[in-house]
Amino acid sequence: MPVIVSTILKYVFVVIIYLFIFGVIRLIYLDINSINRKGTGGKGHYPYIKLINIRENLGFKVDETYHIDKDIEIGRLNKNGIVINDPYISSRHARFIVRDGKYYIEDQGSTNGTLVNGMAAGRQETCLNDGDKIHMGQLDFLFVDRPHV
Amino acid sequence: MKENKRIVHMLIAVCILFLSLVVYLTYFELFWKNSIASNSYNRRQWDREERVIRGSISDRNGTVLAKSEKQKEGQQRIYPFGNLYSHIIGYNSRSYGRTLIEASYNNELLGLGELSYVFGGGLGKEGGYGNDLYLTIDHRLQAKAKELLKGKRGAVVAMEPKTGEILAMFSNPSFDPNSKSLSENWQDLVESEESPFLPRATQGLYTAGSTFKVVISASAIENGLEEQKFEDKGTITIDGKEFKNSGGRSNGTINLEKALAVSSNVVFSQLGVTLGERKLKDIAERFGVGKGVELGIPFSKGSFSYKDMSKADMAAVGIGQGKILVTPLYMAMITSCIANDGEMMKPYLVKREESHEGREIKEWKPEVLYNVISKDTSDKLKEMMRKAVASGTGKNASIKGISVAGKTGTAENELTQKEKNKEHNWFIAFAPVKEPQIAVAVILEYNGSTGGEAAAPIARELIRTWVNK
Amino acid sequence: MTRLISWRQPLGILILADAVIFSMLYLHKQPYDYALIPIGLIIVSLICASYLIIIRKGLGDQYLFLVVGMLASIGFAMIFRLDRAYGIKQAVWLTAGVILFFLSYWIYIKIQMWDRLLFYYMSCSVLLFSATLILGKNIKGATNWIVIGNHTFQPSEIIKILFIFSLACFFKGSQQFIHNNCRIELNWHRTVKRAAIALMAYTFIGFLILQRDWGSAMLFFMIYFVMLYIFDGGWRFLALNAGAAFIGAVGGFMMLYHIRVRVDTWLNPWPHIADKGYQITQSLFAIAAGGFFGTGLGMGKPEFIPEVSTDFIFSAICEEMGILGGVAVVLLYFILAYRGFKIALTVKDIFKKAVALGITSMFGFQTFIIIGGVIKLIPLTGITLPFISYGGSSLTASFIALGILQAISAGDYGETEEQAGEGE
Repeated sequence: MPVIVSTILKYVFVVIIYLFIFGVIRLIYLDINSINRKGTGGKGHYPYIKLINIRENLGFKVDETYHIDKDIEIGRLNKNGIVINDPYISSRHARFIVRDGKYYIEDQGSTNGTLVNGMAAGRQETCLNDGDKIHMGQLDFLFVDRPHV
Repeated sequence: MKENKRIVHMLIAVCILFLSLVVYLTYFELFWKNSIASNSYNRRQWDREERVIRGSISDRNGTVLAKSEKQKEGQQRIYPFGNLYSHIIGYNSRSYGRTLIEASYNNELLGLGELSYVFGGGLGKEGGYGNDLYLTIDHRLQAKAKELLKGKRGAVVAMEPKTGEILAMFSNPSFDPNSKSLSENWQDLVESEESPFLPRATQGLYTAGSTFKVVISASAIENGLEEQKFEDKGTITIDGKEFKNSGGRSNGTINLEKALAVSSNVVFSQLGVTLGERKLKDIAERFGVGKGVELGIPFSKGSFSYKDMSKADMAAVGIGQGKILVTPLYMAMITSCIANDGEMMKPYLVKREESHEGREIKEWKPEVLYNVISKDTSDKLKEMMRKAVASGTGKNASIKGISVAGKTGTAENELTQKEKNKEHNWFIAFAPVKEPQIAVAVILEYNGSTGGEAAAPIARELIRTWVNK
Repeated sequence: MTRLISWRQPLGILILADAVIFSMLYLHKQPYDYALIPIGLIIVSLICASYLIIIRKGLGDQYLFLVVGMLASIGFAMIFRLDRAYGIKQAVWLTAGVILFFLSYWIYIKIQMWDRLLFYYMSCSVLLFSATLILGKNIKGATNWIVIGNHTFQPSEIIKILFIFSLACFFKGSQQFIHNNCRIELNWHRTVKRAAIALMAYTFIGFLILQRDWGSAMLFFMIYFVMLYIFDGGWRFLALNAGAAFIGAVGGFMMLYHIRVRVDTWLNPWPHIADKGYQITQSLFAIAAGGFFGTGLGMGKPEFIPEVSTDFIFSAICEEMGILGGVAVVLLYFILAYRGFKIALTVKDIFKKAVALGITSMFGFQTFIIIGGVIKLIPLTGITLPFISYGGSSLTASFIALGILQAISAGDYGETEEQAGEGE
């Protein structure tokens, strides 16, 4: 009996160790891949949101910056303008709104909520200013709307 | 930064180094592993073999032909019938290695399934038993074959035409594979000029001689030459080369049937030329002359080595004398093919693999090797071969109450050119003609007599033993 | 940062793998060894705790420890299966190694002037080398062990790290302390500097050759050569060094019986199967016995190989965990090396870059030399497989080196993230 269990376990072990290697390589791949994608916010385009987290510690694709030049939605679903596969971000999480040269963020009823400078942004529009910290799921973004010297 | 560029170079270099490790390991696993694992210095192998009692080998009726017995230290392989199976089973010895079935079926005998090649030896059982093999051989017939070959050099093969099962296969000289005898006589056996280690039935290559005329007849029938009359004056010159009947006898005007019965070289050399290169090559190709067949133990594939044939070559092939080399087992296959309505069965030796407890592991089933000739052609051939025994050169093979079909052969070889009385004597036969149960090929090498005189009685006795069982 | 332990995360898989390894280890022999349960729990929690500390506290690269945790688990299981007493000792060394890992991390971060201590590194090394030659004990043909009481200690493991630091000092070329008040500038003329580097490197290698530690000599040369290629970059000087090494190797082959034997048994060990080629052929038999999936832990016969728990542990892994297990180990080392190179690429300070690179190439080449040796790809030289082989010196030295690499990776993040003003 133990012999049979050991024999089964030896195959299980080989599978697991390759899963492990695959897992690590996958994370490293995401890391390398992100070097090539500088994000949608090029130089001279304002405003944009900038990721503060160390991307290597995340298990999903996320760009360094996202350009906010029009109304744009953020969430896990593909139809969002900004798609982020963080399990803690809702399928339709939040919306950026541009009106009269001002920028607002509005939570779309997400499960884990959206924080602006540590305060919950509810379903009403919250005005964004340069340097505001936006928190969604596992991610922290910085809102930037003018060049810094 | 130029340092960073160079660091990337180093990363690539390290990548190549590690890749080479992986490639080497894979290569090792795929190509070197087996030869290394079977090295006799590998203690794992002894260890594994000592732990497992090697399986026994029995004949089709369960008579044990080889078995292993536990001893104080390790185990001993015992062959109760001495030299009777030396050219089928071979031997298994720590000092001299293993041959034939002992070698080819080593994993089965040790109870290692095919899977253990892929998955490593972990499935090998501690203190267990290997699997037992059952052969297609009939021990009684095999013993008869040995008795009949006593004092002669040559080989006897008996097959069941319908299935391809080899019923008996004995080659003489042979040797006792028991380890004591093997170590005492090793030097003599290796140095002997009679090459007792050669399994003549499966690896001895001989000129086919007149037995090959059945193949030529098959082509002649297919090409409508069956009723054609030939003028046989006892000798004929083709392309400057003279072809003579045995003893220079003249047969008058004869047809194909008569020509086969009297084994007329004059007619068949002409037939060779009439059929021509393309048809000769075609019939040889269809019968599989010179093609390899998987038997489980080494089986020489014979040869039919012509590029362009002159008329003399065609005539020589017509009487089975040219550059055609065959093994006795292969001649038995041709005979079986004719007996089996033109279907050539794949020959086999191992019928069944059973676990020590008697559970069946694997059974080998009959397989058709080639569809060579039509039933019509084979029926005509059968009748012609029956006449060859009833009233032709094969008279010595006729048995009261059993209809036998056969063909004699007396083959010239490298020695007949220098000395007299060195011909190989052939006889191929099957019986009963209506419902063939056995096909036999007999060769007596350098015997100097004729196939009809020396080889036919051996075939007769074997057929009688099998059909009257 | 919440879902760290999920089955999709490598840590989760690592815990699962350890669970499987320990169950196999537990089942392989009757009567069952209950001591394995606490040991297993300690090792798994040690790895998890360390990993979580690295993640939570942001101590730099997260993959290094993860990969090393896996390697160390495999190594421990194999050693325990081969010899229970060795296994328990290895568990103790593993614990000590992890503590030393954090300790060396902390010390490295605290002290800022690592690049100015060249003379201390060198005098330490010379001291250790001399001690080895005077007090050294000849174990398996190499005089590279010091015996203190019941314990043996292999100084060359520590000297490796000192060697890397010394090389890094040269390449940084900063001011060097000699004594408290006395200091010298290292910005000499290029030729003088090159001569000094070469002199130092070949002195180290010379000591190793005196000890007949061919494996380490080869490793030191490879580290030196890689560092030269990256930080010096002069093709002629590089060629000169390669030529010197070639002449040295050929000379060694001609003059020294020991080296000739190694080359002979590498090219064709089979005629010497009963004597000189015994080790390597036994190793090949073991690898051949494994097949793709191995015999299963405890079901092969790796104990037939001499030195199986140190130099030949890779053959034992191949036998019992299969070629696939062996290839997995190679891949794990490759990931480790890749992360090392990545760290070396991101740091900007030349000294840190050189140290990171030195440590990385040390792990990489050491792995290649010993694995290549036991599978007969290159001549066999006895060195240990980092993090897997049995032995306190090797394991602790490897963890110290890993701690330094971790510290360098953390330093870089610290500069860019927290103290943005100080960034380079």
